[in-house]
Amino acid sequence: MNISTPYVIETQGLSKTYKKVQALRSLDLKVQQNSIFGFLGPNGAGKTTTIKLMLGLIRPTGGSATVFGMDCIRQSVEIRARIGYLPQEPHFYEYMTARETLRFVASCFFKGPKKAIEARIDEMLEMVDLTGKADRPIKTFSGGERQRLGIAQAEVNYSDLLILDEPAASLDPLGRRDVLEVMSKLRKYTTVFYSTHILDDVQRVSDTVVILDKGQLEAQGPIEALLVGSEGVVYIVHLKGEVEVARKQVLAQPWVSGIIDGQHNGESAWQVSVSDAQAAEAGLLKLLVNGPVVVTEFSRKQYELEDVFMQVIEGDQNGRK
Amino acid sequence: MAGNSAMQLVNERGWRRGLGSMLKSELSRWWKTRMWWVQCLIWVGILGFILSAILFSSPDVPPSGEVGVVYIGLSGFFPAVGVVIIMQGVVVGEKKSGTAAWVLSKPITRPAFILSKVIANGLGVLATMVIVPAVLAYTLTAIRTGDPWNLPRFLAALSVIFLGHFFFLSLSLMLGTLFSSRGAVISITLGLLLMQQTLIGWLPFLGNMLPWKLVIPIGQQVDAVAPCLFLGTHNYSPTLIAVIALESLLFVGIGLWRFSREEF
Repeated sequence: MNISTPYVIETQGLSKTYKKVQALRSLDLKVQQNSIFGFLGPNGAGKTTTIKLMLGLIRPTGGSATVFGMDCIRQSVEIRARIGYLPQEPHFYEYMTARETLRFVASCFFKGPKKAIEARIDEMLEMVDLTGKADRPIKTFSGGERQRLGIAQAEVNYSDLLILDEPAASLDPLGRRDVLEVMSKLRKYTTVFYSTHILDDVQRVSDTVVILDKGQLEAQGPIEALLVGSEGVVYIVHLKGEVEVARKQVLAQPWVSGIIDGQHNGESAWQVSVSDAQAAEAGLLKLLVNGPVVVTEFSRKQYELEDVFMQVIEGDQNGRK
Repeated sequence: MAGNSAMQLVNERGWRRGLGSMLKSELSRWWKTRMWWVQCLIWVGILGFILSAILFSSPDVPPSGEVGVVYIGLSGFFPAVGVVIIMQGVVVGEKKSGTAAWVLSKPITRPAFILSKVIANGLGVLATMVIVPAVLAYTLTAIRTGDPWNLPRFLAALSVIFLGHFFFLSLSLMLGTLFSSRGAVISITLGLLLMQQTLIGWLPFLGNMLPWKLVIPIGQQVDAVAPCLFLGTHNYSPTLIAVIALESLLFVGIGLWRFSREEF
């Protein structure tokens, strides 16, 4: 992580309690500029609460939060002047059309020139594929169309920080793909902070991920670091022949920390944990091939974000209860 | 902000930030939808029908002044019910639907949000429930009696009628910030509107605090403010105008204070 890069969002001990329910517990968060920051967690983890605190819609019961170095309570309006926000369930004024909605939002940020504002509105409508429905009242829109309008209104102001609460939740696969493409395109202009349940999407576009559970930060870091998993580097090896001899040879290597045995189609299936990835990459396959076994499969274990997520949330090393 | 060099940024500061956008949006709710003509139709229909019955049901032409006093009473009472119905969901509806949270995620201050509702709805009520039916009433009475009402005095009476409506508008708005159910807002405001005369009967001092005597006399004597202004008599308490105006401002003030503490 480049320390010199300024943080767009910083929270210190940020907490929120509703009556007796602690929705957020002492959250310390740092979001780098121009990153796509995935904010993960099960329902009730505190994701929306965190977003609302950053927007000044609710007040913290402890700690502090800054966005662009400005205090989220005292300088909320100044912060919101640089943010684009898509709520989890977007609700707009039903009597407005899509174009009027974007015009209303744009008027909160820009006072002119009218031609440039209208051009921006057209650009946003096109981006979310709503040009043909721009002048229809929102009350006639489907859930997916509202969601796409939500993305357009969030970005109409060329925001420096785009906060998206479950942006792809009610979209079909094509819609989801489009949203992810838009997010990727926007990365060079803005920082994207988004919460989601769709782990696949996070893995595809995010560069930093936070996992929140029961109001508490459970994991935070670059996606590559999280995908390595808590088990470290593991190789999958399928082999047959004199397996016990090979096992002794492998375990004798100083960079091998253990072997988990298994069976696959009548062959031995190993998961070899190593402490030195480079040494393993150079020596493990060579050692096996030169030994008394036939190697039928050899690969480095790839973790899915879902595995990491389940490990973190369920506290189980194998990712399943 | 990236890529927006062609745009001129809004540079309003303080509580007014976003007031222009919100006001435009709220005014468009009245004037760019069917709301304005539906309200005009309702109040022109109700008040026009009753007034026509008074003017045309008898072969004798009624005195123009008496018709005016009756009209002031009618237009001071019935449209107030409409105000309460319209205003019941103005704040509560937005809190519940999530549009308030969405709007307040933009650079719009909470005072701007509330004041835009007060101004836009106030103007809507003034135009559709006070002015338009009054134009019809003035015209009909002038045609039938041949004795048009004194225009400055009629306008003074209309101002007082509007003040009465504004009392219920601001009360509804304040209650909308205090409660999260439409039922609570409408039952309190409608209850007060309909029970005013009874309450004043029980506790006469309330006559100096409630808007009833702005438009409707309590006894046989014409001592309500608007009819007196209309007739050019002075048998009324001018302090009631100030009290109702102050109460209305107090309601708006409480609404602003409460809304600034609201969590979405």
